[in-house]
Amino acid sequence: MRIELRLFGAFRELDSSAQINLEIADGARVSELRKAVLAYGEQHWPEFRAGLLLRSAFASEVAILRDGDLVPVQGQMVLLPPVSGG
Amino acid sequence: MDKAAGSAKCLVVDIGQGALDLTAALEFVSDPGFGGISLFVGRVRDLNHDRAVHGVSYDMFEPLALSVFAQAAAEAQKQCGPRMKVYVAHARGRLQVGDLAVVVAVGTPHRDEAFRACRSVIEAVKHRAPIWKQEHYADGDSVWSEGCSLCDDSKLRAGPLENEAQPQHD
Repeated sequence: MRIELRLFGAFRELDSSAQINLEIADGARVSELRKAVLAYGEQHWPEFRAGLLLRSAFASEVAILRDGDLVPVQGQMVLLPPVSGG
Repeated sequence: MDKAAGSAKCLVVDIGQGALDLTAALEFVSDPGFGGISLFVGRVRDLNHDRAVHGVSYDMFEPLALSVFAQAAAEAQKQCGPRMKVYVAHARGRLQVGDLAVVVAVGTPHRDEAFRACRSVIEAVKHRAPIWKQEHYADGDSVWSEGCSLCDDSKLRAGPLENEAQPQHD
């Protein structure tokens, strides 16, 4: 399954396109997507910090997903680092 | 982008299109039956962690941010209403010191529920909305603030793998 993962906040600094594309298994859960991002970050981003990823959430266009949730088949996801609005 | 649903109005304003509008906020929450209006205004300050600040940039995932604003307004109406109007607006883009970053206004029949609801909404905006602030310091450095994690199981994952200091979010 192809995942288009949009990046925000500190993650934008790591990739000029603010998006990465990943391949994960059909029926994968968010925890597996997290591992895929971890592997991608360690391989492609010199400034990558695993700790920031561990504190970050994944979401679809409409809702935050937990690690045990299935990744939506549409494949459109966003990576949300800890927030600091206001 | 603008999202209005009856007694709540939620919007994101690109700073390039204009500033947040306090008059619009007060007008929206006004009602002949409302004797109390509470208004919270968040502005860009010139100091962060003892470092001089020139400005900040706000990034956000707008669809979900607007949903969080609307949900926060609905929760406030449920807890402190139901007679209430709520206005929530947040800026995006690069702001200068003194610029308005966020506005929350609540109109109710009496002051107590206006104060409580306004506090409830701004706390939700700060802690739950997918919005990120980058501080631009006077020395030329820029740093993304790391505040509240949106995943409630992040501490379990962080555990022994996490060696970085936990950030503070005011």
